[in-house]
Amino acid sequence: MFDFLNEDSGPLCGSKRSRREFLTVGALGPIGLSLPQFLNAKQKGHMKGDDTKSCIMIFNLGGPSHIDLWDMKPDAPSEIRGPFKPIRTKSNAFEVSEILPMHAKVADKFSLIRSCHHDGAAVHDAGWQIMQTGRRFTGGVETPHAGAVASYLMESRNDLPPFVVLPELMGRGGGNLPNGQAGGFLGKSQDPFSLMADPSKPDFKVPDLLPPDQFGASRLDRRRKMRNIVDQTVKAFEESEDARLLDEHFHSAFRLMTSEKARAAFDLSQEPDSVRERYGMNRVGQCMLLSRRLIESGVRFVTVNTFLTVFNELSWDIHGSKPFISVKQMQELVAPMYDRAYSALLEDLHQRGMLDDVMVVGVSEFGRTPKINPAGGRDHWPQCFTCSFAGGGVKGGEVVGKSDPIGGFPAERPVEPGDIVATIFHALGFDLETHLPGPSGRPFPIVDFGKEPVKELFA
Amino acid sequence: MKTILFIGLVSWLGLAGTAVGGVTILPEAIHLDGAEGRQTLLVQVLEGDVYAGAVSKVKWKSSDAAVAEVREGAVIAKANGKATLTAESASGRATREVTVSGFNGDFAWSFNRHILPILTRQGCNMGACHGAVAGKGEFRLSLRGYDPPRDFYTMTRQAKGRRIEMGAPARSLLLTKPTMATPHKGGKRLDVKSREYRILSQWIAAGAEAPDAEAPAITHIEVSPELSVLKKGDRQRLLVTAFYEDGSRLDVTDWAKFASADETIALVDEDGGVEIIGNGEGAVSALYSSKVSLARFRSPFPNRISDDVFSKATRANFVDDLVLAQLKELQLMPSGRSSDEDFIRRAFLDTIGTMPSLAETTAFLADGDPGKRAKLIDLLLKRDEFVDYWAYRWSDVFLVNGQLLRPDAVKSYYEWVRAGVAANLPWDEMARQVVTAKGGSLENGETNFYAVHQDPETMAENVSQAFLSLSIGCAKCHDHPLEKWTNDQYYAFANIFSRVRAKGWGGDARNGDGVRTLYVEPRGDLMQPRTGKPQKPAPLDGEVIDPSSTEDRREALADWLTDPKNPFFARSISNRVWAAYFGRGLVDPVDDLRASNPASNGPLLDALSSHLIESEFDLKTLMRTILMSETYQRSSEVLSENRDDTKYYSRYYPRRLMAEVLHDAITDVTVTPAVFDKVALNDGSFQDTKFYEEGTRALELYDSAVKSYFLKTFGRNERQITCECERSNQPSMIQVLHLANGDTLNDKLSRKDGVIDEMLKAKMSDEKLVEVAYLKTLARRPNQRESRALVGMMTGLKPEERRIAMEDLFWGLMTSREFLFQH
Repeated sequence: MFDFLNEDSGPLCGSKRSRREFLTVGALGPIGLSLPQFLNAKQKGHMKGDDTKSCIMIFNLGGPSHIDLWDMKPDAPSEIRGPFKPIRTKSNAFEVSEILPMHAKVADKFSLIRSCHHDGAAVHDAGWQIMQTGRRFTGGVETPHAGAVASYLMESRNDLPPFVVLPELMGRGGGNLPNGQAGGFLGKSQDPFSLMADPSKPDFKVPDLLPPDQFGASRLDRRRKMRNIVDQTVKAFEESEDARLLDEHFHSAFRLMTSEKARAAFDLSQEPDSVRERYGMNRVGQCMLLSRRLIESGVRFVTVNTFLTVFNELSWDIHGSKPFISVKQMQELVAPMYDRAYSALLEDLHQRGMLDDVMVVGVSEFGRTPKINPAGGRDHWPQCFTCSFAGGGVKGGEVVGKSDPIGGFPAERPVEPGDIVATIFHALGFDLETHLPGPSGRPFPIVDFGKEPVKELFA
Repeated sequence: MKTILFIGLVSWLGLAGTAVGGVTILPEAIHLDGAEGRQTLLVQVLEGDVYAGAVSKVKWKSSDAAVAEVREGAVIAKANGKATLTAESASGRATREVTVSGFNGDFAWSFNRHILPILTRQGCNMGACHGAVAGKGEFRLSLRGYDPPRDFYTMTRQAKGRRIEMGAPARSLLLTKPTMATPHKGGKRLDVKSREYRILSQWIAAGAEAPDAEAPAITHIEVSPELSVLKKGDRQRLLVTAFYEDGSRLDVTDWAKFASADETIALVDEDGGVEIIGNGEGAVSALYSSKVSLARFRSPFPNRISDDVFSKATRANFVDDLVLAQLKELQLMPSGRSSDEDFIRRAFLDTIGTMPSLAETTAFLADGDPGKRAKLIDLLLKRDEFVDYWAYRWSDVFLVNGQLLRPDAVKSYYEWVRAGVAANLPWDEMARQVVTAKGGSLENGETNFYAVHQDPETMAENVSQAFLSLSIGCAKCHDHPLEKWTNDQYYAFANIFSRVRAKGWGGDARNGDGVRTLYVEPRGDLMQPRTGKPQKPAPLDGEVIDPSSTEDRREALADWLTDPKNPFFARSISNRVWAAYFGRGLVDPVDDLRASNPASNGPLLDALSSHLIESEFDLKTLMRTILMSETYQRSSEVLSENRDDTKYYSRYYPRRLMAEVLHDAITDVTVTPAVFDKVALNDGSFQDTKFYEEGTRALELYDSAVKSYFLKTFGRNERQITCECERSNQPSMIQVLHLANGDTLNDKLSRKDGVIDEMLKAKMSDEKLVEVAYLKTLARRPNQRESRALVGMMTGLKPEERRIAMEDLFWGLMTSREFLFQH
C-alpha cells in the first residue's frame, strides 16, 4: 500500500534523507554481516538483548488529552486550559491533573515526555501504526510492532507466547489502515497472542485453554496422532504462510495446554481480592494486573489496549459529540479507571522488585487539540502529546521535553515515535544496529537511522 | 501577456533520433521553447524494443553548444536554432536532435507552474511543516499547494509583506529561511546555488506575479519510460512531463513526488531513481499538481521456461490467455490441473459457501463425463445456497448490522439484498436502487443505507467505497495527497446528497422502532467550507449537475456511476468477485482501487470489467467465466518455478475458510444444528432475537451483530465500516485452542444422533468408516498410508471405545489444514 497519508519525517520537519542514503546507512554493511551470518549470530545469542528485561506497553486508545492530564496549562486562556486544575505530586518536576490523584502519589516512579509528536495523519489508525512500530507503512511494507521485534529476537522463555495483547487486538479506527499490532514483515508467526476475553468478568478464563474434563492424556495423544496422519498429505501447505502458521499455532497451543505453569499465569483467581480491587474491577484494571502476572511468568512483551475502538464505546476520544465521548465521561469514568490501574501497576511492580527489569510505557496515537471545540471536547492532535515511562532503568519523577505555552507543539527536545521505540529497545538491551530480515530478504534496521533512545530518561 | 515557459515533445516521429549500439535517448523528441527551456535527459539501454534500464556514466556532446548544451543531465536552451546531442557511454552511443525557439521572447516564472511545485518539492507545504492545519511559525500554506490563491496571499501579503522583498529578493524570508541564512526550525531546504533558488528569486524580482486564473490548466502527466524490463539489482531513472489545456508541456521531473507501489519489487528515491530489488511487476507513481501517473517495471523470475509450456497450455477462455501471457513474461511455471476431489470441494466452497455432501462427492468422482466440471458449475450457480452465500457477502459491503439499525430494519435491509441476489439483479441495478433509495425503511429495505450513513459527506464516502472501491475521505480536508481527488471534487460529490432527508427513527440502535421514511428536498446545498459557498454538485470526475434543478441529484449520480464508461464501477465489482474466488484481488486490498495501487495483472482486470459490461453486469456470467478458467482450476501444488509467486495466479493459493463457511462446514459434517439467539448492542450488552430458528446456518444470518464466539474468533466482518479489511481469514492460536478444546467442535462430535451415531448404525467396517469420514470432510478417499494408519488405531476397540475413537478421527480430520483451508 502507498504512503498516502504521510510525509517525510525528520526532527520537526528537518532534514530529509533519500531512500538510497538510508539503504547505504541501514544495510548490514556497518556491522559486517550477511543475512545468513546474521541469522546465525542470532542463534548464538549475540543479538538477543538482555534476558532479564521485559516491557509492558499501555496503549491509551483514543488519544488522551495531554492538556487535561499530564501537561496542564493553567496560565493559558480558558478555551485552552480546560476545566481541570493541576495538583502537586511526589515529583518536584511535574504536576498532574486533579483527575489523576493516584498518579500524583506514584509520580516518583514514572517520568513524562511532554514533547512527543508525529507527522502522520490525524486519524486513529495512522497513529496506532506509527506509535507501535515506530514507522509509517510505505510501499506495501508493514513494519513490526515493537513487541513482535522483541518476540522475534528474544523468543519464548518457556511455554508461554513471548508477545501477548490484552484483552484483544485493537478494532478499526475509521481510516482503513493496518493498526500495527502485528508481526508485519517478520511474518504472522510473530503476531501477538490475543487473549479474546475480558479478565474482569467473574467467570474469566482464557477461552478453551483446557481440554474438556473427561479427556485423558492418552486421548489427547491419539487425537494429535490422527491429526498428524491426515495433515501430511497436501504438500502445498508448506509454501503457504497461513497454513504454516496454523501448524505452528497447533504446536504452541498444545504446549500451552499441557503446561500447568503456563496456564497458571493466566489464572487471576490466584490473586487475593485486595490486589484485584487495588487495580480496579474493570477491564483496564484487570488487564494491567494480568500483564504483571504474565511478565512474572516469562512473557517478554505485553501490550494492554486500554480500549478497543473509538466508536460507541468508552475511550480517550473526547470529541464531545456522538459516537465519541465527552470530557465529563473522561472525568467520571475513563480517567479514574486508568488512574487506579496505572498507579496500581507501578506500585505492585515496585513492591515485587520487578520495576528495574520491566519497562512500563504509556503511549497513545496522539494528543488533543489545544483549543476546546464547539461541542466542548477536543479533537485529534498528533503535533504534540505526552507519553509516560517507568521502570526498566528509567528514573522516576522527571520530565523530558517541553511543549509550547498552549501544548500545541514541542518547544524543546522533540521526540518522535522512532525514538520511543528505540527507548524500549534500549531498555530491553538490544543493540540498535541490529537488523531484521526484511521484505525481499533486505536487511531492515530495528529502528530507522537517526532514531535514538531518550537517554535523559535513564538513571 | 507573457509567454509561459514550456518544453515540448513536439513530434514523436519527425525528430526521432537514431539509436546506435543498443542505447537511446529519451525523450524521443526535444523542443525547447523560451529562454528557460530545459529538458531532463535519459539514456536508456534498449533490448529489442524494450527499455532495459538507465545508462549511468554518459558523456554528452552538443553539435552546437551556442544553441543547446547539456548540464547535469539536462539540455538547456542557449539560442534559437538546431543542434544534435550525442551521448557516449560504455553501453553505446546515441544521438538526438534538439530545436530551440522563442529564445528572445518574453518570459516569466509562473506561480502555479513553477513556484508552488518548487515549494511542494522542497517539502515546505507538507503536513509536518507549513502545510499543517495550523501552519508552522505563523506561516501556513495549503497542504501540497491545493489552494494557490490563498498561498499566494499568505506568501506575498501576510507578515507585513516581509516574506518577499521585490527590491532585494535575497532578503526575502521566503529565501533566507530555507537556506538557513536566518534561523529556520525546518532546517535547510534549499541551496543558494540551486536552480530552484534562482527561480524563486527571479519570480520575486520580477514582481511576484499572482496566479493567473485564466492560465491553461494542467490536464494530465506522463511518466516515461512507461514500462521497463529489468533484472534484480538494475537501476532505472524516470522522466515526468506535465500536459496543459493549450497543448503545452513541461518537464517536471525535478518537481514530481515519487512512490513505489510495492517496495518488495522496486524502491524509488526522491529524484525518481529506481532500484529493482525483487521479481514480479512493480510500479512507481509520480504525483505532480494533483495528477498521478505510473511507470511499470517488469522483473522476470530467474527461471528458464520453454515457450512450449505456454503455447501448449490448456486455455478455457480469455482469463487463461491473459494469465499465461503474464506468466510467460515473468517466467513463472503454471501448476497443473487440480484433481476432481480438490475441484469439487473448492467450487462448492467458493461458489455457495458449502461443503459438498457425501452423495454429491461420490457421484461427481464417479462421473466419467469430460464436461462434468462445467455441469457442476452450472448447477452450483442455480443452488439456493448461492443466494445465502452471496447475500451474506454483499451484506458485508452494505453494512447490514444490528449495532447500527433496529432489528426490523436489519431484516428489511437484508431481505432487499437477498431478493436482489435471488433475482440475479444486475449489479448496476443493485447500485442504482441503493443510491436512489426512497421511502419507508421497512418497505424499501435499501433506504437503510441512508440510515447507516446519515450526513452527505458520509453518504458520499460510502457510495464511493462500496461501488468504486475508492477511499475519498482524505479529500474532505485537502486535496488527496497522493491521488487525483481534490477537495473541490469531494464537496461537489457530497453536495449530491445534501437534499436527502428522513423522518422517523433517528439512529439510536438501542431504542425505537427503526421506522424511517426517506425523502429528497427540492432544494438545499452543502457548503464547501474552504470557500463558504456550495460546490456545484458533480459525481467525482463526472459532469456538473445543474444546481438549480429540483430533481433528485442522485439520479444523475446513478447514471454516472453505472455508465459503462465509468472506469471504476465495473473494475470495482469485478475485482471483488475475483477476490472472493481467489482469496486475493487483482487489486489488493480490494477496497483500494487508487490509480497508484495497480492491479497485479492490469489487462486481466480490464478484460474482466469489459466482459461484465458486455454481459450487462450479470455477476453470474462473470462467475461462470472465472470458474470455467483453467486458472481457477489449477492445482495448489507448488513447483520450484512458481514457489515465490503470490499474486500472478500460477497456482491456486490455499487460504483458510471464511468464518461463516467454516462454521457451517462443521455443523453440516457433524449434522448438529447451531443456535443463534442473541444480538449484541453497541454498549456490549445483548438482547434476545427470535429471527433465527434452530438449525439456521451462519450464512443465513442477516446481521453481523448476532452473538457467536466462533464467528468473532474466526474473524467475520463486523460491518462497522465499508471495508473488506474488517474480515480476517488469518489463523490464530485462540482459534486453534477453540478447535482443540472449545465447545463448537467437541460438543458437536459427542452429541447423540449426530454424524457418528449415524455412521455406526450403518455397521460399516473400519476401512469403510475411515473412507466415509474422509469423503465427508475432505471430499476425497484416504490414501493407503492414511487408511492403514488410521484403521490400525481403530481395530479391536469395544463399541463405546470405538465411538470415542470415531470422535477423535473426526477431530483429527476437521482440525487438519486440509479441512480448514481452501486448496
